[in-house]
Amino acid sequence: MTDRDMIVCRCEEVSYGELVDTAGQFACNSRELKLRTRAGMGYCGGRTCRSSVDAIALAAAERDNTQITLKYQPPVRPVHFGDLGAISND
Amino acid sequence: MRDLIIIGSGPAGLTAAITAAEHGLDILVIDEYLKPGGRLLGQLYEEPGGNWWNGIEESRKLSERAGALGLDIRLGVSVHNIEQENGSWLVYTDRETFEAKSLLLATGAAEAPVAIPGWTLPGVMSVGAAQVMTNVHRVKPGQKGVIIGVNVLSSAIAMELHIAGIEVAAIALPKNNRVNGSAAIPTEVMNALLHVSHMAPSAFVKMGSKLMKNEFMKKMGITFYPKNGVRMWDIPVMLRKAVIRIEGTDQVEGVTLATVTADGKVISGTEEVIGCDFVCIAGGLYPLAELAALTGCPFYHIDELGGSVPLHSEDMRTPLDGLYVAGNITGIEGAKVAMSQGKTAALSIAKDLGKDIAEASLSEAIRQISSTRSDAHIQFHQDVEVGRRKLQEYWEQHATGKRNILV
Ligand SMILES: Cc1cc2nc3c(=O)[nH]c(=O)nc-3n(C[C@H](O)[C@H](O)[C@H](O)COP(=O)(O)OP(=O)(O)OC[C@H]3O[C@@H](n4cnc5c(N)ncnc54)[C@H](O)[C@@H]3O)c2cc1C
Repeated sequence: MTDRDMIVCRCEEVSYGELVDTAGQFACNSRELKLRTRAGMGYCGGRTCRSSVDAIALAAAERDNTQITLKYQPPVRPVHFGDLGAISND
Repeated sequence: MRDLIIIGSGPAGLTAAITAAEHGLDILVIDEYLKPGGRLLGQLYEEPGGNWWNGIEESRKLSERAGALGLDIRLGVSVHNIEQENGSWLVYTDRETFEAKSLLLATGAAEAPVAIPGWTLPGVMSVGAAQVMTNVHRVKPGQKGVIIGVNVLSSAIAMELHIAGIEVAAIALPKNNRVNGSAAIPTEVMNALLHVSHMAPSAFVKMGSKLMKNEFMKKMGITFYPKNGVRMWDIPVMLRKAVIRIEGTDQVEGVTLATVTADGKVISGTEEVIGCDFVCIAGGLYPLAELAALTGCPFYHIDELGGSVPLHSEDMRTPLDGLYVAGNITGIEGAKVAMSQGKTAALSIAKDLGKDIAEASLSEAIRQISSTRSDAHIQFHQDVEVGRRKLQEYWEQHATGKRNILV
């Protein structure tokens, strides 16, 4: 296996090669890289690959120190739909 | 309504809870792990002077004090969202929603992975996971391991594995690519290690820090660094070899190492395979600030603090009413600093809730954070003081700008 085939985002199965190519082609920041490839948009909410996606994007675009590079969205942990707003029938 | 909810029962959260309870606040502590103590639980190392810092023992002491004060600590509960509404804070968990006048975020740090082909194989784990298995659950992560990433955390944990009788075949660098960055460059890693040389029992590194004051000597140091590593607790620390692949079909069977140049390029023909049944990846720590990020609190990326941190003052207030932070969410440091920050946050909270807290005790608590920091045995970033100063400047700019935060 080479670096290019290596999976970086396990939830969405995005490879290192795809991330590096996309970052290079569009000179994107982390957010754009995420939206173009879906890296960091899976089940774990980017918990595992966030820093790797960031690092790849930083090689192509400069960091803005006043922004979190990849936005966090609630829920920040996987939760059951029922726990988000269950209406009980009894 | 409760006075205060604390998210995180690590050293910062527990110390804050104890201090706040001593000042008569009504508190709830929430933690998603099954035991109180946070990352303290896994820690075990010898301090200068021969004392052992035993995290399980320290956690027990804190929990006992919390127990004696009758603190309400809910374990195994994950917070997935927080919101400010009508002047109070709502905390959404996988069980129920809680409400309090103030909220302290003491959620600690997270580990970053390294990117090496094969890193998704079963048997590869973060170095912190190996620490928790070994020291907290007393389960061997495997028979023989390789650690990828040479830094303060990985060397501390290598030593812990060694004490537990688990063979560590090598600590080596990750291969050079865009993800692994400077952690894959021998000269940069050597440089970072020289600043923590007091921790390294290896005479080579200790002596090195005195000798290698200038760039030329550093370059020589890495050029002549033994290719097979310097042994530390009998574990070869390889600054001139990188893991280029983790091998195995269904699980880890070994790693392929290669010698690299001083700037991290693989020298072809030097590849060799070492067998092992587990691999620890150590890509460093960053502040776990996800909940703070949901509130609209301003953030600043400060390398010396390990990543993006929520804006906060020396007394642990954020610009949002009733929202406070303490511990590694404010920057990566050792457990003792986290405790002193927890205490300071609790005093600020008690004061803001109208308790009689003397200005002098608050400023003494702030002073203790700095003195704990300068005496710290474990330092994750050599320039942490620079990072704290940058943050303080951002805070002052913010305070003078009186910029309103829209939540
Ligand atoms: C793997 C690892 C190893 C470390 N080893 C050392 C070491 O050897 N020596 C040293 O000095 N420092 C070490 N550190 C640094 C460590 O972070 C500090 O020493 C100290 O534990 C920080 O204290 P804290 O209270 O800020 O956070 P922590 O001790 O990390 O506690 C935070 C707590 O918050 C809980 N939490 C987080 N998010 C949520 C949520 N959404 N819902 C509910 N609960 C939540 C966590 O379960 C955790 O128990 C290590 C850190 C890590 C990650």
